[in-house]
Amino acid sequence: MTQRLTNDEVVDRALASLRGAGVRTAEVFLRDALSGSVDTKDGQIESVIARGERGLGVRVLDGQRMGFAHSSDLAAAGIEHVVDQARRMATITEPDADLQIASTKLDVADLAIYQSGIEERPLAERGAVALAVEQAARQADPRVTHFRKTTYSDAEITTIIATTTGIRASYRESHCGAMTSPVATQNGERQIGYHGEGARRMTDLDAARIGGRAARRATEKLGAKPFATQKLPIVLDPWMAMSLLGAISPLFSADNVLKGRSLFSGKIGARVANERVTIVDDARRNGGLRSAPFDGEGTATTTRTMVDGGVLRGYLTNIKTGRKLGSSSAGNARRGSYASPSRIGPSNFYVEQGVDDPAAMVKALDRSLSITSLLNLHTIDPISGEFSLGATGTYLEHGAPVHPVQGITIAGNLTHLLASIAGVGTDLTFGPGGIGSPTLVISELSVGGT
Amino acid sequence: MGISSTLTITRTPVVSVRDAERVLRTALSRGGDWAELFWERHETLQLVLDDGRIEDAITGVDQGAGVRVVNNANERTTYANGNVTDLDDVLALAGRAAASVSEGDDLHDAARLVPDDLPKPHAVRIDPRTVPVERKVALLRRANEVARAVDARVIQATVSYTESVQDVLVTNSDGVYRPDTRVRLNFMINVVAKQGDVLESGFESVRGTRGFEMLDDEVVGECATIAARRAALNVGAEPAPAGTYTVVLSSEAGGTLIHESVGHGLEADLNLKGLSVYSGRIGQKVASELITVVDDGRDPGQRGTAAMDDEGTPTQRTVLIEKGVLKTYLSDHKHAEKLGINRSGNARRESFRYLPICRMTNTMIERGESDPDEIVRSVKDGIFVKKMGGGQVDVVSGNFAFEITECHRIREGRLAEPLRGATLVGQGPKLMSEIDMVGWDLGYSTGTCGKDGQGAPVADAQPTLRIPSVVVGGKLT
Repeated sequence: MTQRLTNDEVVDRALASLRGAGVRTAEVFLRDALSGSVDTKDGQIESVIARGERGLGVRVLDGQRMGFAHSSDLAAAGIEHVVDQARRMATITEPDADLQIASTKLDVADLAIYQSGIEERPLAERGAVALAVEQAARQADPRVTHFRKTTYSDAEITTIIATTTGIRASYRESHCGAMTSPVATQNGERQIGYHGEGARRMTDLDAARIGGRAARRATEKLGAKPFATQKLPIVLDPWMAMSLLGAISPLFSADNVLKGRSLFSGKIGARVANERVTIVDDARRNGGLRSAPFDGEGTATTTRTMVDGGVLRGYLTNIKTGRKLGSSSAGNARRGSYASPSRIGPSNFYVEQGVDDPAAMVKALDRSLSITSLLNLHTIDPISGEFSLGATGTYLEHGAPVHPVQGITIAGNLTHLLASIAGVGTDLTFGPGGIGSPTLVISELSVGGT
Repeated sequence: MGISSTLTITRTPVVSVRDAERVLRTALSRGGDWAELFWERHETLQLVLDDGRIEDAITGVDQGAGVRVVNNANERTTYANGNVTDLDDVLALAGRAAASVSEGDDLHDAARLVPDDLPKPHAVRIDPRTVPVERKVALLRRANEVARAVDARVIQATVSYTESVQDVLVTNSDGVYRPDTRVRLNFMINVVAKQGDVLESGFESVRGTRGFEMLDDEVVGECATIAARRAALNVGAEPAPAGTYTVVLSSEAGGTLIHESVGHGLEADLNLKGLSVYSGRIGQKVASELITVVDDGRDPGQRGTAAMDDEGTPTQRTVLIEKGVLKTYLSDHKHAEKLGINRSGNARRESFRYLPICRMTNTMIERGESDPDEIVRSVKDGIFVKKMGGGQVDVVSGNFAFEITECHRIREGRLAEPLRGATLVGQGPKLMSEIDMVGWDLGYSTGTCGKDGQGAPVADAQPTLRIPSVVVGGKLT
């Protein structure tokens, strides 16, 4: 049997191997994760998945050229190999004077992102969350008849980063999540709903709330009718608003800005959204699902206001783009796994809570359409900013539901969407992807239908 | 410095027949009824040219295994998986999977394993790992140069080359022991064009389950030209209108329509739960009689092609809908058994990290009899879709949406001004029964399909089609 090296031993060996090869600037990134998930079907546990993953990513900066290699083979020979491959990759890329490996000392931050022992808990206890979610959805409404899928999942993750330039830091985090997609039936019509939430601690997951919200996402679509093509005000509840906000975040990427791929290029200090809108990226939010003390290249994370009262204040940056913009990295290098290169992305990214009561905001509109699901979010092009999405919704008059609608599209441009936010609710909510939003009212969007 | 090959991997031997028998015995040691080992080694190389520079060169190895144990009494599946270095790691996974089965059940023996190498759908002529990296870099540069020369409004290009070699072994307690190697290449270019304050992008790709023979200067140059023209066309185009129109989908547009509007609804897992709009409808008319739909996991060189699925079932050509009548579903081991249909070889998983699920491979609407030009001429006022992008379907209601990345207005039977930012929405079975003209041509597109959090490489194809009336999403002026 090959000797299993500890995480620190793997990192030490990789650093030693880099030094041995004469590499002066390099970074070693290790992730070790235990995870589990449970799926239920008709009140019973249907499947159980247990996973153990560990891998290493090595970035070598050879002069001004960066090479990256990764491996899950962490025996001594595997570590040598990944270092060797990263060096070779650095001979293929082209020089960029602004590339650097992190060397600024990191602070210690307790962000309340870890609950120990989750993966040691028995399956019966963890699977019970999924069963409770399913039961809550059934109990919420008798029209809930089927489920596409109900899942509970969790993970405990250790991240270590070490550089030849003196950085060595690590953190642990935990994740729990539950989702369900119930199907509601009425007079032969079937509609599916979806709702999922995430938390850092098991006790923060509310199974009854998740099941109840999911059931409503299905039942609110029953009785859906076609809808005429028209322009009208659109209501986005926090969950629908989050999905569009996620599509807006690439506009803030300094990499996109520098390469002419963002509509926010050259707009610092300019109005890019309605004055009611303030957008924050807070990687240090207590217990936040995207909180971390340092980013994917070992820079301390930050809390920043990106849009302040509608005015663009900054971009999301990493070391390279920070230097190109004449500042330092704001700690926005994100790494999906040890095997992915770091890419600029948001952390806990949210629209700040407004002053308007959500119900009152909607009631004040003579006619409006409240969106209940969106199809094709992944096709939004952040470069053009244009979106045209399949949707379902509820048609409202003075805030009162008239009937659900389906088979429609909503279309517009992300920049216009930001500019036409006419109301920001007091109900800021964070979703499982770390994105947060209150209820938003959009003054007008094009709806395509019959 | 010259590099002859970018990947010189020291190969870990695949789990031998004897070792596999030990693993399966361990998996069934506490009373499971059926066990399976999925072993995988996945080598990748990705090169990215962005902003005129080779910015990323990334290589890696992902090696892991998963052991699945099924317990019939409570119909429970346990799947233990993780990265593995050696046999001890694999045995540990088997022990972990076995441990969740309650003791005291009858013990089952694994059948003796019979090694078996399935016939390949096509040959890989040039292993990409043997091609010098300079050649790959030269293709990226060529695409970048070609794209930037197409139109003065082109301001940016991102070109990437990804090679992926996935070695898998599937072995189970029924006696199956089957290896497979999937060599896939993915060449993509995304071009940005700017006109005034408007930015638009154009995307094109060349992807397949093939060796390096699929790429050369001409192929990547054409790919770059198409992407750049698309970006330039869109940046000068009018926003698409919103409303209901007659739509002609060109065969060049690719097959997103069939994938979203029908394909997902025919996956057996959704049908067993009675959730699909196609549930319980085998033998019934579910589309116009002009429509025949096929899923072909053996279509040579296509992106969704492999010799076997990820449960070791040989892939095949499956007729799903024949002249409008539903024939069968896309199935895996479990759902074929429960629904009493033949296994179609459509159990796929993104990696050892996941249980396999019912998925499409290469899905298409078969050729019809109409002249594609005649189909366009038949439309007085409508929309001609030249390229489709991504899509999504709600399989329960059948409502789908897909993106249009290149389209024109049709006026008096002729292509008129280009339009941008359109989406098509509809309901699968309704749309399929309304298609009233099917061309004699056939065009493919490729993509990565997402389901239950797993990605799978797929291809889709269709002839030119006419849809008399469908909702187009765009802007109202």
